[in-house]
Amino acid sequence: MKGMLVVLRNDLGDTLHSKSLLIVVSIIGALIVAAAVGVPIALKGWLADGISWDEAKPLLELCIGLAANYVPLIVLFSCMATWATDPIAKEKAKGPIESLLATPLTARGVWIGKSLAIFLPAYIIGLMATLIVILTMNLAAILPTTGHFVLPLAAAFTSFLFLPLFMLALVMVGIIFSLITNPVIGQTIIIFVGVVLMQVVGQVGGRILWLLTSWDYALYNLAGAALLGIIAFYLSRSLTKEKIILSSKGRWA
Amino acid sequence: MDAIRLEAISKQLGEREVLSDVSFTVKQGDIFGYLGPNGAGKTTTIRILLGLLQPTSGKATILGDDVSRDEARRKVGFVLESDGLYDNKTAEENLWYYTRIYGMAEPAERIDRVLELVELRDRARDKVGTYSKGMRQRLALARAMTHNPELLVLDEPTAGVDPSGQMEVREVILNMAHKEGRTIFLSSHNLDEVQRICNRIALIDRGEIKLYGELEQLQRERSGNEVEIETTEAIAEPLLAELKSLSRLGLRERKGNILTFAPQEGVRIPDIVSLLVGRGVEIEGVSKKEASLEEIYSAILKEVEPS
Ligand SMILES: Nc1ncnc2c1ncn2[C@@H]1O[C@H](COP(=O)(O)OP(=O)(O)OP(=O)(O)O)[C@@H](O)[C@H]1O
Ligand SMILES: [Mg+2]
Repeated sequence: MKGMLVVLRNDLGDTLHSKSLLIVVSIIGALIVAAAVGVPIALKGWLADGISWDEAKPLLELCIGLAANYVPLIVLFSCMATWATDPIAKEKAKGPIESLLATPLTARGVWIGKSLAIFLPAYIIGLMATLIVILTMNLAAILPTTGHFVLPLAAAFTSFLFLPLFMLALVMVGIIFSLITNPVIGQTIIIFVGVVLMQVVGQVGGRILWLLTSWDYALYNLAGAALLGIIAFYLSRSLTKEKIILSSKGRWA
Repeated sequence: MDAIRLEAISKQLGEREVLSDVSFTVKQGDIFGYLGPNGAGKTTTIRILLGLLQPTSGKATILGDDVSRDEARRKVGFVLESDGLYDNKTAEENLWYYTRIYGMAEPAERIDRVLELVELRDRARDKVGTYSKGMRQRLALARAMTHNPELLVLDEPTAGVDPSGQMEVREVILNMAHKEGRTIFLSSHNLDEVQRICNRIALIDRGEIKLYGELEQLQRERSGNEVEIETTEAIAEPLLAELKSLSRLGLRERKGNILTFAPQEGVRIPDIVSLLVGRGVEIEGVSKKEASLEEIYSAILKEVEPS
């Protein structure tokens, strides 16, 4: 546990000092500003047409639901895809990982520390971005025109808890693959699942209007997180230092 | 308690048996040299010692603990084949990370001290990516010592280091061993270096231990019975002829002032000395000729060469 925290602290420092953080934050920041300015203007124009609250409510909930799902998904996904494998690939190719494992650190501690070091900053950036978008939509457009604050509880749970849990489990699976096989495999898993998920949210969420704000959808996320969690746990039982060392060379390299 | 104990360790990697039945013991306070040609299995042995690979069979302990226990390495420092330093961090940052891993109190002082020891204090804030090979190796050694380990495991610590750098590294190793009473296990290709600093050695070839023991004793056992006698002046030809005729003295050669004998059973060194003195020869010194590690090494590797 202590060892895991040391790895987490070190890798967090690396992430926070990396150039990719700057790039990720700038791109996400620009998108968020565009959304935070543009969406309220569009909403305001639409709400000003004298639409009744009963008519407007499901559509507003859909808008908020889309934002609550899409924003954290995009942020978590892009951060994880950027950070998840390159450092591990370097550490394996150049040798630091071997020295690290020759200390009293456990393979599990290294795995969890590295996973959290990717997940936590991604989560915090995602959380802030989501809050900014939802708050500006409400405070700048919905609240002044309708007098209501729209944030369906199920969507809030999905956005702030269940979807991040799913992404945490995903990153843990990805990192385990990066550690015991070729890092590219871990990255591919994260990107594949992330892209599929974005498609699902976009396509299905746009058609089945009630879905994204429903508890059903929140539970799907939770179930997905649990499933990936079980996979991660199962894989972690075969996580040994020997696998990490030998996968740095030979057939996985 | 032994510092390192390997009992019948074998290791299969893929199809190949990389180590077979390797056993040896490193006692506390030893400077133990682990020798062998490329691909002999030195690095593999070290990986097993440090819990990086699991032996296929056999038992290995380090400071009394089974190597499979992660905590067994809390008092072990190491330099692996690749130095394991982070290029994008400074020397200080590299060391900070390891002080945290070992949970050290007052790391700043210790970091300062070990950097001083390897003479890198003035470069402490430079990124390691800008270091030369020798500097990297010294920093790796500093990192191995940050937590004041009882045992240092070093995989070719002077590989790629220039002669003066090698001397510095040796100095640090000797200090650790003699002043601080630490145990050192080092693998090396440098026979001269091993001969100079190690008290015990093991020689591995193709995964098997070919030679193991106290270096001085091995040298004595393998030296035969040659004696060198140095005289103040080169001896005269007639005397030389006489000595040659006495076959039991076993005169081998004369090189300048040095006579080499391999006396037969029953002839003692004092007998030869008094014979020479009796002929009016002044003797400067007498020494038993010891086989050098290089001679032992090549003799053994020749023995095992398939015919
Ligand atoms: N991952 C691996 N898979 C298969 N064989 C391996 C693997 N790693 C090492 N070997 C083999 O094990 C043998 C011993 O290698 P090792 O690295 O232990 O040698 P070494 O004594 O350290 O050599 P050197 O002096 O060159 O460093 C070699 O034949 C090597 O090819
Ligand atoms: Mg080696």
